[in-house]
Amino acid sequence: MPREVDLSSVQPYADHLGDGLVQMSFTLPVPYSLAARKAALELATAMGFEQPEVVHYESLTDGYTYFVMYGRCVASVDFASLQDEGFDIEYMSEDEIERFVEHQLGRRIVVVGASTGSDTHSVGIDAMLNLKGYHGHHGLEGYHSFETYNLGSQVPNSVLLSKAIEVGADAILVSQTVTQQNLHVQNLTELVEMVEAEGRRGQMILACGGPRVSNELAKELGYDAGFSKGTYPHHLATFIVRELAARMSGDRVSAAG
Amino acid sequence: MASLSQLTASARRLALVGLAKNTGKTVALATLLEELGAAGRRVGVTSVGRDGEQHDVIDARIDKPLVKLGAGAIVATTDGLLRASGIPHELLARTGARTPLGEVLIARMKGPGAIEVAGPSTASEVAQAAEAMLSFGAEQVLIDGAIDRRAASSPDVSDALLMSTGAVLGDELGEVVARTVDAVALVRLPTVPSDTAAGRRLHELAAAHRLEPRSLLVGAGVERDPSVLPPRFVLSAQATEIGSLVSQHPDADTLLVAGALPEAFVRDLALAARRGQRELTVVVADPTRAFLSERGPEHYRRQGVAIETLRPVDLRALTVNPLAPRSHSFDSVEMRALLGQAIPGLPVFDVLHPDYGAAQQRPGPDRAAADS
Repeated sequence: MPREVDLSSVQPYADHLGDGLVQMSFTLPVPYSLAARKAALELATAMGFEQPEVVHYESLTDGYTYFVMYGRCVASVDFASLQDEGFDIEYMSEDEIERFVEHQLGRRIVVVGASTGSDTHSVGIDAMLNLKGYHGHHGLEGYHSFETYNLGSQVPNSVLLSKAIEVGADAILVSQTVTQQNLHVQNLTELVEMVEAEGRRGQMILACGGPRVSNELAKELGYDAGFSKGTYPHHLATFIVRELAARMSGDRVSAAG
Repeated sequence: MASLSQLTASARRLALVGLAKNTGKTVALATLLEELGAAGRRVGVTSVGRDGEQHDVIDARIDKPLVKLGAGAIVATTDGLLRASGIPHELLARTGARTPLGEVLIARMKGPGAIEVAGPSTASEVAQAAEAMLSFGAEQVLIDGAIDRRAASSPDVSDALLMSTGAVLGDELGEVVARTVDAVALVRLPTVPSDTAAGRRLHELAAAHRLEPRSLLVGAGVERDPSVLPPRFVLSAQATEIGSLVSQHPDADTLLVAGALPEAFVRDLALAARRGQRELTVVVADPTRAFLSERGPEHYRRQGVAIETLRPVDLRALTVNPLAPRSHSFDSVEMRALLGQAIPGLPVFDVLHPDYGAAQQRPGPDRAAADS
């Protein structure tokens, strides 16, 4: 019989509960050698892993060695208290969303999206908005209850906002690759500030998405929600329709996305 | 020299705005809170982003200062963050403001402690939260910004502004000073006078169009009706459209902008002004409506387009962070001296430099003198 998991003290799992076993891989800028192997073991110990093991290492190119390692993680996290924080929302399926819009909102939802500024990546916005979507999930264009406008990439904030006002958008969706050097952060905040300057902030849901976008970052940027890797169009749609319904009724609903 | 809290004491709602991330805005907030706490002032605190989080949201290697509040302080932050602080508190109101981190509550601290502050994000909700905190007895409300967001410094939301700049703005000190000068010039745009006929008319036109905001092109003749621009013209007009608008209205000298003023528009308008050998004034409701990130207002004024504002922002002081995290740093004294020369009449502080503490810890009479 499987042992019950202690959710107040969760550790990584490999062979049995509580073994704390972690597999990791990294590259060191040192030549492939026994000294390199020793260096990787010392580094893993310094990271706090117990009983580190190098299971594979190879030369990447001159002066660089790639490692695959195991190590025992002795730290644990309190999952029970995180569950109470309400990070999770239950996502609706495409059909549920269509019915929700029909019965609760009674009109089509207008969404305008773009990759803004100098960002040339339109993969994220296309996956969310275009009919073909990804991983077998339609983009919002394929929903009867959504009217979508995908402006593509390298769109100035002022042009995106102008289109959103023109078509009476309920939500603006911005896709952006946030880098460690903050290159695109200013561009994301500028859109929020421009919507404020136009006096439209209360009328529009602002959502941003990208590989490094979290709800914490979305909060700092001034967006209503942030979506990262692993987001499907129906996740985004669930957030938009619930938030619209909450705004229409004046209800207080958490916007965890 | 007066302290930060003394310079900003008369502002019931004080906005703190940084020119970028890691310009030391939260350090300035912590300094203010410490000074106000020592003076026994009841403060209210909110943040349009998050403050007091342990690590930076983009670069987790950067440690952030905590927000420490004393007993009696009022705070607007989310349910979860209030609970996580572990500080005993009295719930005063639910704001109904939804953020990605949960609903914002207003609470009074029953004991001292450190807390992460994440209040409402939108300007109108921030204004409401600030009003609520004042009505619950806060003598002064501090509204912390996030990243480079300026909306909370609008006169609709706050009474005065404390600005933060830092080494993170550039690799060269000269570049940091130049960018700070531009940002200050943007905040300190000239105000349309209300004691001249032309100025009064602009104020009246703006008030008359408040309910249905449309941008207006106004001629020199006071009696002539202004031309109403097509919807969203300022947001998205092409250079050729802007050029023909200017040439079709040879008498027009002022453009009253209803909403946001993007830099692309100013640039194209300057081009049209130069071609037509005209001088134009663009008027925005307040400095937070103008979006100039490449050049300062002075650059465009030299090109024939002056930018003015109907309502000013009361900038009280500038704080500097001479350190760019994990990158470079400048000499604090030199940095402040250069900024002081470039921006006359604006007090410049580095609250972490020993000379700030030394100036504030002088015995009683000096502080009393600074108060007066």
